[in-house]
Amino acid sequence: MTKRSWFAVGAVGAGAAVLAAVLPAGAQGPIRIGASLSLTGTYAKLGKNQHEGYKLCEKDLNAKGGLLGRKVEFVMYDDQSMPPTGVRLYEKLITEDKVDAVMGPYSSPITEAVANVTEKYKKVMVSPLAATTSIFKKGRKHIFMVISPAEVYLEGLVDMAAKRGLKTVAVVNEDTLFSKAAAAGAAELAKKRGMQVVYQEAYPKGNTDFSALLTKIKSLNPDVIAAATYFDDAVALTRQMKELNVNPKMYGVTVGGDLPEFYDTLKTNAEYIYGATQWEPGLPYPGNKEFFESYKKDFGHEPSYHSAAGYAGCITYAEGVRRAASLDPDKVREQLLKLEMKTAFGEYKVDQDGFQLAHKMVTLQWQDGKKIVVWPDDLAQAKARFPAPPWNQR
Amino acid sequence: MNVVITPTMVGQVIISGLLSGALYSMVALGLALIFGVMRIINVAHGPLLMLGAYTTYFLYSGLGLNPYLTVPVSMLVLFGVGLLLERTLIFRVVDAPELSSLLLTFGISIALVNATQLAFTSDLRAVEYLTGSWLVGPFAVSKPRVIAFAFAVGLTGLAFVFLKYTRTGKAIRATSQSREVAMVCGIDVGRIHLLTFGLASALAAAGGALIAVIVAIQPEMGQVWTFKSFLVIVLGGAGNYPGALVGGMLLGLVEQLASLFLTTQLSEVVAYVLLVLVLLVRPTGLLGGRQT
Repeated sequence: MTKRSWFAVGAVGAGAAVLAAVLPAGAQGPIRIGASLSLTGTYAKLGKNQHEGYKLCEKDLNAKGGLLGRKVEFVMYDDQSMPPTGVRLYEKLITEDKVDAVMGPYSSPITEAVANVTEKYKKVMVSPLAATTSIFKKGRKHIFMVISPAEVYLEGLVDMAAKRGLKTVAVVNEDTLFSKAAAAGAAELAKKRGMQVVYQEAYPKGNTDFSALLTKIKSLNPDVIAAATYFDDAVALTRQMKELNVNPKMYGVTVGGDLPEFYDTLKTNAEYIYGATQWEPGLPYPGNKEFFESYKKDFGHEPSYHSAAGYAGCITYAEGVRRAASLDPDKVREQLLKLEMKTAFGEYKVDQDGFQLAHKMVTLQWQDGKKIVVWPDDLAQAKARFPAPPWNQR
Repeated sequence: MNVVITPTMVGQVIISGLLSGALYSMVALGLALIFGVMRIINVAHGPLLMLGAYTTYFLYSGLGLNPYLTVPVSMLVLFGVGLLLERTLIFRVVDAPELSSLLLTFGISIALVNATQLAFTSDLRAVEYLTGSWLVGPFAVSKPRVIAFAFAVGLTGLAFVFLKYTRTGKAIRATSQSREVAMVCGIDVGRIHLLTFGLASALAAAGGALIAVIVAIQPEMGQVWTFKSFLVIVLGGAGNYPGALVGGMLLGLVEQLASLFLTTQLSEVVAYVLLVLVLLVRPTGLLGGRQT
C-alpha cells in the first residue's frame, strides 16, 4: 500500500467507503486477466496451445516490467470445449474472481456464447481464436478480432489461379459454420476475379466417401478445386481424388492442409496441394523467431497458429492498456479501435466493430515434404509448383 | 452448376457402390449373427471394428507387416476380444429384456472408444500402403477398395459355408432358430453364444482392417459403422443372414446413386427414407426376418 493510494482513500472520504475498499485492493496487486480455454474435450489440443500462448505472453510481459507497473497474472479455467461451461466461467471470472480484464476463449462457438457475458459487464475482450465474421457484426462494442475471417481462407488459391489465367473452379465444403463461410468466400472471390464456379456442393460432417461427388466434378474437369475442409475430410477427399483420377491444375484445402499430420498421413500424395494458414513459424514478422524459440523451450513442442494468435492477442491487449494508461474498458477500447501494430502473428487493425482488417492469411504448398509459403508474394518462400501433374504421373 | 449425368458416370458410381456394398455386407453379417443367435442389439459392433483397424495399423506401422496379411491377425485378436467380452459381460444379458443388452453394449462401446482415445489419442492415423486406381476403360477402379471387396466377398463366402455345412455352423443356425429345441438336441448353447460373438467380432475386425487401408482411422470411426450395419440388417431382414448381403449391396448402391443424382448430403436421407419404406411395406425386411 503506497502513500498515494492511502491518500486516494482519504480524499474520497468516509462517504464512499465501499468504493474505497475496492480501489486500493485492486490498485496494488497484479493485473489479473481471466479466460476460459478448452483444455479437455473436442478442442483440447488447440485450446491448450492457446493456453500456452497466454502463458508465454504473461511471462514476456512480466519480464519487461509488467503492465502499468504491475505484474500480470492469468486466471484460467477449463471450459471442456462447451459453450455453456464457458458462459458460466466468464460470469464467475467477472463477478466472483473480479478479474481486471478478460481474454477470449478458444473457438467461434464458445466465443459467440461468452461474448454475451463480457458485453453485459462491458468488459473488453480480445478474442484471438474466433474466425466467424458474424460474432463481430452483431453490434457488440467490446470484442476484438485477431485472426482473419473464414471467408478469406481460400483467397490465396483463388488469387493465384486467377493470375495464371485459370477459368473454372469447383467449390466443395463440409456443411458446418466455418466451412460454409470459407466456401462462400471462395466462390465470391472467384466470381469477382472473373472465374466461373462450375460446381458447388456441401457434404455432411464425418463424410468419408466422396466417389459420387468427385465423379461429378471430374465430368466438369475444373481447373481448380477449392475445398473448405477440416482435417479428416481433407485427407479422405485427397485420397479419393487420386483413386478416381481427378486432376485439377490446382487443389487447395483450408484447415488440415497446414498440419504436419496432413503429410504424415498422405505422404507424397500431399505434394502440390495448397493449404491455408493464419501463421507460420518462418514468416518474417517482428519477434516471430524469438516467440518460436522461447515457446519451444518452455513447452517442449512447436507452437501452432493457435499458440501464436493467443500470444499476439494478449500482447495486443497489453498494448491497448499501455496506450490508454489505464484498465478502464472504455479507454482501452478506444485505443484498440485505432491501434495498428505488427506482432509475431502479423498485422493488427480493426474496423469500428472490432472486426479484423489487416491480418493476412498465407497460402502454402506441400513441396518435397515441406510446407512452403507461396502466397502472398511479399511473404512467399518459393514459387508455387504449377500445374499439379496428373496423379498417374507423380 | 448443371452436371450432365452420363452413362459412364452412372457406371462409375455403381462400381463404387458395389465395392463399398460388399464391405457393408460383411460387417453387417456379424451384427446379424449376434442378433439372430443371441437376440442382442450390439451397439459395440462399430467400436470392435475400430479396434480391428487399430490392430492392423499397429502391425503395419510397428512391425512393417503387409496390411493385407494382418487381416487374419486382426480377426484373431478381435475373436479373442469377443470371447472375453461375451464371457465377462454379454452372457449376463442374453435372457434379459432387449433394453438391457442395448444399455450394456452402449456402455461397452463408450468404454472402448474412450479407452482407445486415452491410449492412442484421437489423432488420425493412416495405413498408407496402397492408393490410386486401375483404369478400366472409362472407369477408375480404386485399388484398395477392389482388394477390400475381394476380401469381403471371400470372407463372407467362407462364413456362409461355415454356417451352412459345418457341424458348428449348423448348431449356430439351430440356436438361432430356437434356443430351447437346440438345447434339447444337446447343443451347448452357452458355447454357441460365445463362438457367435467371437465370430461376429472377427468379421467386424476384418472390416476395420480393410477400411484402415482405404481411409484414415480414429477412435470414433466405429459409430457410423454401427449405424450402417443396423440399416443393412433391417433392410435385409434382421437375423436373416443372406438378408445382410442384399441389404449391404443395396445400401452401397443407394448411397452412391443418391449422391450422384442428388447430393452427398441427401444420400443419407435417401438411405433412411428407404429404410422407412421397407419397414412400411415389408416390416420383416426384404428377405424376411428370423423365423420365430
